[in-house]
Amino acid sequence: MSSVNLTNYFHSSLFIPEMKATTKDEALEELLNLFVREKLVKNKRLVLAMLKQREKLGSTGIGKGVAIPHGRTTAAGDVMIAFGKSSKGIPFDAIDQQPVHLLFMVIAHPQEKSNEYLPLLGSLVTTLKDDSKREQLMHVANFEDLLAVFQGE
Amino acid sequence: MENKELEMIVHLQDLDLMIDEAHDVEKLGFAISGCEELKAARQELAAKISKPLLYRYERLRGKLKRAVVPVKNDICLGCFLRQPTAVGAQGREGNEIFVCENCGRMLYWID
Repeated sequence: MSSVNLTNYFHSSLFIPEMKATTKDEALEELLNLFVREKLVKNKRLVLAMLKQREKLGSTGIGKGVAIPHGRTTAAGDVMIAFGKSSKGIPFDAIDQQPVHLLFMVIAHPQEKSNEYLPLLGSLVTTLKDDSKREQLMHVANFEDLLAVFQGE
Repeated sequence: MENKELEMIVHLQDLDLMIDEAHDVEKLGFAISGCEELKAARQELAAKISKPLLYRYERLRGKLKRAVVPVKNDICLGCFLRQPTAVGAQGREGNEIFVCENCGRMLYWID
């Protein structure tokens, strides 16, 4: 899983050093708004519906303060990751019932060719299992800090 | 204003992709428990789509895996063929459903 260079999928415009959201729905919308603002997705309502339905399939709060809301959508033309941090923590129905502090929203296009979506998700999960990486992420203040955490992965 | 039926087809495909990949995503470490609920939501949505369009979607999906594809910069992201400029102008308006002349997939302009 370490073959995916995650830094290629982050962008400075898809970065929130301190999220305002206090609920799961607000968090999904706050992160999705970044994609909408950058015109990376076409129809916010459709993509938000997809993300909420994905949460019904099973929470993307994978525990230890991490959530990776994700999904493929026909309303996107690329694969990108938005990152947001919440020092206070956001209730997210995570598997360990703990609030989440580190949120990575992965939005992908529906194509089969050059399928990068599942390896990317796997790589993200693997990296975030590392206690020291999560600790570093809790202290990122700017986009460069974020990239530094994932460099060399 | 987007074509309502096209919007429903896009949503249907998003749900189908999610259902198809639930097992793969579970293997990555995500908890998956609501597959039946998702399938029920899919059925409910499919029932709202006109039969001819739904059949077309199912037929394309069976043959090409992705029945609807995004179009970006006039390029069909299913087969990567450039769409005629005139089609792009109408496609962006979203009043009707266009099909890629090369691969036959339904097109969804995202820019």
